[in-house]
Amino acid sequence: MARDALAERPRTFQDLILRLQQYWAAQGCVLMQPYDMEVGAGTFHVATFLRAIGPEPWRAAYVQPSRRPTDGRYGDNPFRLQHYYQFQVVMKPSPADFIDRYLGSLASVGLDPLVQDVRLVEDNWESPTLGAWGLGWEIWVNGMEVSQFTYFQQVGGQDCKPVMGEITYGLERLAMYLQGVESIYELVWSDSEHGKITYGDVYHQNEVEQSRYNFELADTTELLRQFEALESECTRLLEAQSALPAYEKMLRASHTFNLLDARRAISVTERQRYILRVRTLARGVADAYLKSREALGFPLLKKQAL
Amino acid sequence: MSGHDFLLELGTEELPSAAVSGLSVALAEQLTSAFASHGISHGMVRSFGTPRRLAVWVKDLNERAADASIVRRGPPVSAAVDATGNPTRAGLAFAESCGCSFAELGRVTEAKGEFLHFASVKAGAATTALLGDIVIQAVAQLPVAKRMRWGDSDFEFARPVHWVVLLYAEQVLPCEVLGVASGRITYGHRFMAPGPLTLSAALDYEDLLFTQGRVVADFEQRRQQIRSGVTDLAAIEGGTPVLTDALLDEVTALVEWPVPLSAGFDARFLDLPDEVILATLQGHQRYFALRAANGRLLNRFITVANLVSSDPTQVVAGNERVVGPRLSDAAFFWNQDRAAPLHSRQEALRAVTFQAQLGSYFDKSVRASALASHLAPAFHADATLAVRGMQLAKCDLLSGLVGEFPELQGTMGGYYARHDGEPEAIATAISEHYRPRFAGDELPSGALGQILSVADKLDTITGIFAIGQKPSGTRDPYGLRRAALGVLRILIETRREVDLQDCIALATRNAVADRDARLGSGAAKTAPASGPAIERDVYDYMIDRLRAYYTENVAGVTTEMFEAVLDRRPRSAYDFDRRVQALAVFLTLADAPALAAANKRIANILRKSDESEGTTSITPTPLVQVEELSLQAALNEARPTVLEAIAQQNYAEALTRLAGLRGVVDAFFDKVLVNANEPGLKAARLQLLRDLRSLFLSIADLSRLPG
Repeated sequence: MARDALAERPRTFQDLILRLQQYWAAQGCVLMQPYDMEVGAGTFHVATFLRAIGPEPWRAAYVQPSRRPTDGRYGDNPFRLQHYYQFQVVMKPSPADFIDRYLGSLASVGLDPLVQDVRLVEDNWESPTLGAWGLGWEIWVNGMEVSQFTYFQQVGGQDCKPVMGEITYGLERLAMYLQGVESIYELVWSDSEHGKITYGDVYHQNEVEQSRYNFELADTTELLRQFEALESECTRLLEAQSALPAYEKMLRASHTFNLLDARRAISVTERQRYILRVRTLARGVADAYLKSREALGFPLLKKQAL
Repeated sequence: MSGHDFLLELGTEELPSAAVSGLSVALAEQLTSAFASHGISHGMVRSFGTPRRLAVWVKDLNERAADASIVRRGPPVSAAVDATGNPTRAGLAFAESCGCSFAELGRVTEAKGEFLHFASVKAGAATTALLGDIVIQAVAQLPVAKRMRWGDSDFEFARPVHWVVLLYAEQVLPCEVLGVASGRITYGHRFMAPGPLTLSAALDYEDLLFTQGRVVADFEQRRQQIRSGVTDLAAIEGGTPVLTDALLDEVTALVEWPVPLSAGFDARFLDLPDEVILATLQGHQRYFALRAANGRLLNRFITVANLVSSDPTQVVAGNERVVGPRLSDAAFFWNQDRAAPLHSRQEALRAVTFQAQLGSYFDKSVRASALASHLAPAFHADATLAVRGMQLAKCDLLSGLVGEFPELQGTMGGYYARHDGEPEAIATAISEHYRPRFAGDELPSGALGQILSVADKLDTITGIFAIGQKPSGTRDPYGLRRAALGVLRILIETRREVDLQDCIALATRNAVADRDARLGSGAAKTAPASGPAIERDVYDYMIDRLRAYYTENVAGVTTEMFEAVLDRRPRSAYDFDRRVQALAVFLTLADAPALAAANKRIANILRKSDESEGTTSITPTPLVQVEELSLQAALNEARPTVLEAIAQQNYAEALTRLAGLRGVVDAFFDKVLVNANEPGLKAARLQLLRDLRSLFLSIADLSRLPG
């Protein structure tokens, strides 16, 4: 457990992302790009959800723009966004020194564990819609949660063997801490000879308009219709053993459900039923994906060097 | 006999804080019970628990398990030796099974004859030979609430296991625990002492971890250190810390090297209700809040860091940065929630499901309101206020703050009602209507709060029974046991004469109506229970909780006493209690056992007579003997005062008066033969006993008491 080299703090939001990408690339992660669909968290990226299934080893890191319609605050709340960024790292099987590697990443962005009070506080993760759960922690730095750390036990109803370890950084929160600002919108995104561009410059208008859409404008009748259509489309694709396209329909159904939820178009009792419907799709996808990888002979098993 | 110190340490990733103390104690218990069953003697046992380790240290663990004496009786000598004096096959087989020659076997003479006999002493095994299995078993049997796998192994534990120290004196006992080979290497504090530490002997454990590992391994010691550290620091801040056992335990389980630091927040947040500030500081952040001498919260708090930071100001500043936004979020909701009056949320409760088959919280508050109105007179309260309170009681479920802090339900409703200008009694009632929330919790302080609590809980119990989901075994998802006990505690401890059966009947009518209104669409799997069946079930269930109430809360109330009163099925819990208390007094009287015995005897006589003669009516003839006449006279004399005392529910007085009959009752049984030959006389004597018995029975069935 050698001490990790302590770096200078990244001065901008984009520097933070670059730093983390560099660090995790050096740990053997495949640097991926965001999944090009609306999702609630980095876990929904195929590089996590699907790669967690089956025996093949896998290591990846990526930024995932994430949408949680109910968290929208019209750009008024300095800490809450309906669209934000997660930095996701997955390693499967989870290495024995996974925590140490994570702590190394904190050092790489200038957080010294001999100065800061770093704590691992139990936080078990469960996603009813994904039929997934795992055990792990919130990572606190001086009482602030900066990451989630999870050992996946089940995904899509499948036991995870080997276990995938997942780290999710809340990038805005971490950046606010590193930059010492009091509002997300004050974060410096980039700083060049052309001046400083803040998070607010980039995203404030989006928060205002998307919050309005989520809470006021979204056409719930149309969304309900879409949910039904996506569900049957997903089911049809699963029957055709088409795992990846089916997964995308499930993602859209899941996001549609979130939008309906934000509009409070789903009653508390119905809510549970919708969650179960998405979970049924997620299980179907997990099944189909496992079969498809098996049919291919689990190609990544042959590349253990990965 | 010589022993050596033993040490087992499991090094793990950070354990769930709720598990640390319990698992370390359980590990010690598993080990010591295994030592006991193997007959391995030892001295003091200590358990250690931190976020990253569970350990047990045992002093003077004996090198050998105790010798075991083996005694076996074989076949009869007659079967083991043939006529010529040689061993038979049976005799040889026994010798073989004992592992000795036939000649080495002894003989023993018992009542049934002479038998072969084998006695020997089995030397105890070497402890070192047993320890591996003992340790593996002990770890496997730990009560881990949630197990997980990690990496590509199949082992399961609370969190991944990284190292195992297993020492006996200076020796490593080679063993594999959860896939990890045992050794003598431990690790100290994750950040302050990350390198490996070599233990040369079990004895060095605590010291080495403290001096070189920067770890206070003993849970209790760490807890003490936190308590006194936090208290001292609070004094410097001019306050005292808000210390709860739960928070102390949790913080102790989160750190290996506690360092309390004080920090603060903007004083304007002190305008928030204390409960909201405490929920933020304690619940979310595990901080210790501080109170000034006048009881008011200070805008300061203490966080317990897990290291000696080389720059504590950064730790303090960081924690302050977290609290500010959280409190400002809470302040936002606090202001927003008060912008609309509580009663304006009533309609919206229709969208909040209480239970799918029973409807929304709106439906629930309508049902509970009817109950509250019904209960009001018994509590000497205004029914209009009770109904108003019940209608408002659930409205805070839709407030922003309760959304953020579900544990503040009720409490916030009280604040909002007060803000809206509702009568103070209503505000207090709303804030207290979830009480009692746990064993030993306070009851609602006023009559209105007691009414809301009873109405709300009784509606829940009855409703859940009506949809066929009454608790079974340990399954009690709606917390009905606690609810029932809460109702009983309120009725008894605040001395309310409430006809429980009436209340249950009303609650059942309303619950069944709401249930059946929802049955229309979906076909019911089984026919739902009928009103009378539900009423009986709920009453029985509640009375059964009363049994638990007595065993948990009231010393000196025995099962017999409870059964004696239960036999009368009193309609009111308070009345039930008065009868039980009267029995407790009665049983201290010298005459009690004799009267209990007399009641048993009478009950038997009457039962036999009923069995043999049924209800055939024979006209009684006058009593003749002195003893029966004096019993009759005494009974007639006592009856009015006894009935008067009973009418005033002064059961102790009634029983004392009845105890006075002991002399004449004893004399009656001494001298009088109930089964007289003449049917008329017999009938008269039976009637006399029936009269006597029925007077006792109007209090309790004394035949169930020891006598």
